[in-house]
Amino acid sequence: MTALLEVQDLRVTIGSTAAVRGTSLAVDKGETHCLVGESGCGKSISALSIMGLLPKGSVRETRALRFAGEEIGGHGEREMEHLRGNRMAMIFQEPMTSLNPAYTVGSQMTEVLRRHRPVTRAAAVDRAAELLARVGITAPGLRLGQFPHQLSGGLRQRVMIAMALMCDPELLIADEPTTALDVTVQAQILRLLAELQKDLGLGILLITHDLGIVARVADRVSVMYAGEVVESAPTAELFAAPEHPYTRGLLTCVPVPGKVKRDEPLGSIPGVVPRMQPGFTGCAFRDRCPEVTAACSGSFPRRTIGNDHQFLCTLEPGWVGSAAA
Amino acid sequence: MSATATHATPAPAAPAIEVRGLRREFRVRQGMFAAPRQVIAVDDVSFAVPAGSVLGVVGESGCGKSTLARLILNLLAPTSGDVLVDGKRLADMDRRARARLIQPVFQDPFASLNPQRRVRDIIAMPLIAQGDVASDDMHRRVAEAMERVGLSRDQALRYPAQLSGGQRQRVAIARALVLRPRIVVCDEPTSALDVSVQAQILNLLAELRRDLGLTYLFISHNLAVVEHIASEVAVMYLGRIVERAESERLFAASRHPYTRALLASVLTPEPGLGVPDVGLGDIMPDPANIPPGCRFHPRCPIAVARCATEAPKAIADAAGLVECHLAESVG
Ligand SMILES: Nc1ncnc2c1ncn2[C@@H]1O[C@H](COP(=O)(O)OP(=O)(O)OP(=O)(O)O)[C@@H](O)[C@H]1O
Ligand SMILES: Nc1ncnc2c1ncn2[C@@H]1O[C@H](COP(=O)(O)OP(=O)(O)OP(=O)(O)O)[C@@H](O)[C@H]1O
Ligand code: SF4
Ligand SMILES: [Mg+2]
Ligand SMILES: [Mg+2]
Repeated sequence: MTALLEVQDLRVTIGSTAAVRGTSLAVDKGETHCLVGESGCGKSISALSIMGLLPKGSVRETRALRFAGEEIGGHGEREMEHLRGNRMAMIFQEPMTSLNPAYTVGSQMTEVLRRHRPVTRAAAVDRAAELLARVGITAPGLRLGQFPHQLSGGLRQRVMIAMALMCDPELLIADEPTTALDVTVQAQILRLLAELQKDLGLGILLITHDLGIVARVADRVSVMYAGEVVESAPTAELFAAPEHPYTRGLLTCVPVPGKVKRDEPLGSIPGVVPRMQPGFTGCAFRDRCPEVTAACSGSFPRRTIGNDHQFLCTLEPGWVGSAAA
Repeated sequence: MSATATHATPAPAAPAIEVRGLRREFRVRQGMFAAPRQVIAVDDVSFAVPAGSVLGVVGESGCGKSTLARLILNLLAPTSGDVLVDGKRLADMDRRARARLIQPVFQDPFASLNPQRRVRDIIAMPLIAQGDVASDDMHRRVAEAMERVGLSRDQALRYPAQLSGGQRQRVAIARALVLRPRIVVCDEPTSALDVSVQAQILNLLAELRRDLGLTYLFISHNLAVVEHIASEVAVMYLGRIVERAESERLFAASRHPYTRALLASVLTPEPGLGVPDVGLGDIMPDPANIPPGCRFHPRCPIAVARCATEAPKAIADAAGLVECHLAESVG
């Protein structure tokens, strides 16, 4: 089966920063693939590369960038415009990047549809109202006439989701769609996304730094560190048997209610995520890794466990840490 | 125990922080011609925090957590009510005495550190403000505070922009500790940090509390973080504390439906559980328009008729405090 989205060896350089360093990932129809990692590790830049929306001055290279079986890496701006908002849609990390403060919710939502489909204004308004109701907004008519700043954060996020769905996309890329929201609203939005996916068969690439969200919504997870995917696996397997020292470390940092005793130290990873320069070789995690050896400074291949689990490290699968007694 | 108790009384000691009937209103005007609206950010809040313990404060955005913190730090004057620190009214203390007793750590270390000053000078500020600290004493205490929070000596001459987020938060904590206060008010101290760095800072705060016997008021919207560090938790909703209990009890057997909804929305990293339905609907609370009756009733999944008209009285009992018509008193 061909994946809905397939990215192979994506590299993005912005000025002197190697923002993405060889990311590969695939999203199937009806699947939620989570891209997780700490701030600055290249999640948003990866997403923007797929959409053809990189900041000026970025250089992108890929071995393959396929959408629904078609190579889109060579597409020009006009061809991308034809796909964006239409067959592939994105919810941005900052809602105000995709909502224009000067136009009402209704005019922005209908604009998206009318750009890609030959529909009347009235039909577009109907579709917008229907989708607002679909994302759980109680008074769609009222909201269509309002400006983005008149909405609460939770409502704005729902509007963004509804707007992304106007043209019935096959792929939805959601960049931290709930980070700015209260936990109660976050749960509502995530449930909504899961429901829509089930009903519409959407493929979702969900970007987050929150391992709790990953555990609850992902079918598959890719863990990013310093511009590359260091581990990728089906969700249950990643949490049950993480292999990369960074993944293992990250999982011990998260306080889990009822699991970690109060005042007992949490696991932690010393140091911070480095900013990468082009031309770096070896493991980018080595300065923070408790398992580092000389081999980590050289080149080494990605390891595979079964047919679905990969990690990028010099350690053998199933390694037992020196610290774990 | 009364506020006028003397220092000679050995036990029970005065609580480190005591808040009585605290209320703070704001008048906000949305647009030139709109009539000003009144926001009651903190509405008749009372509690006591025993010395050496940690009171966690949780609640949704806009429920009044930061306003409460600023009132307790005396950065904001209450509309009514009192804050007592170590049994003394905060409002009666002079600034320098207050600074020796209670210090803040805020969410965004970048915004709270002067970008023009070196780390060393930022940490020394509270000492300088005291006006009577000798300079070699000052150097010693800055070095001591830096060591305590895990900053290396060579970082003393750096500027905030040259530090990572976690290091900046360490600077803010060192500055808070340099006067050796008894109480630290932490307002979302790890919310701007990555999880790996958040864990470093939480471990540091826990260690400092143990070693120095500090008392914390610890504000966070992250319930897992609060459970990890707090001995007692207060849940705020539209300016009021609707439930307060010992941490273990609150997480195991909460009595307020809002607390239960908050707990249900915590997404622990446990695959296969899915995302729960928290059952709150899509009505958002508006601090400028507090509903009559129980302020939570429009969102409450278990509300009954009288919740819409009658404000629930606080039940204060062995299990803590709860404000809900349907909550049972304990023991
Ligand atoms: N417009 C830009 N110009 C220059 N560098 C950039 C730009 N946007 C991002 N970068 C750099 O690219 C790297 C990856 O950034 P990216 O925004 O993809 O991180 P992220 O994983 O999305 O982080 P966050 O969780 O903070 O959103 C970082 O080092 C960042 O500083
Ligand atoms: N200086 C001010 N002037 C007017 N209104 C204010 C002021 N400070 C706070 N408020 C209002 O008081 C209410 C409580 O705000 P507060 O900042 O205490 O909330 P919070 O619980 O800290 O929220 P968050 O989680 O977003 O930090 C809000 O409605 C806010 O808009
Ligand atoms: S008083 Fe009523 S409305 Fe308020 S929380 Fe209790 S049950 Fe819900
Ligand atoms: Mg991002
Ligand atoms: Mg706040």
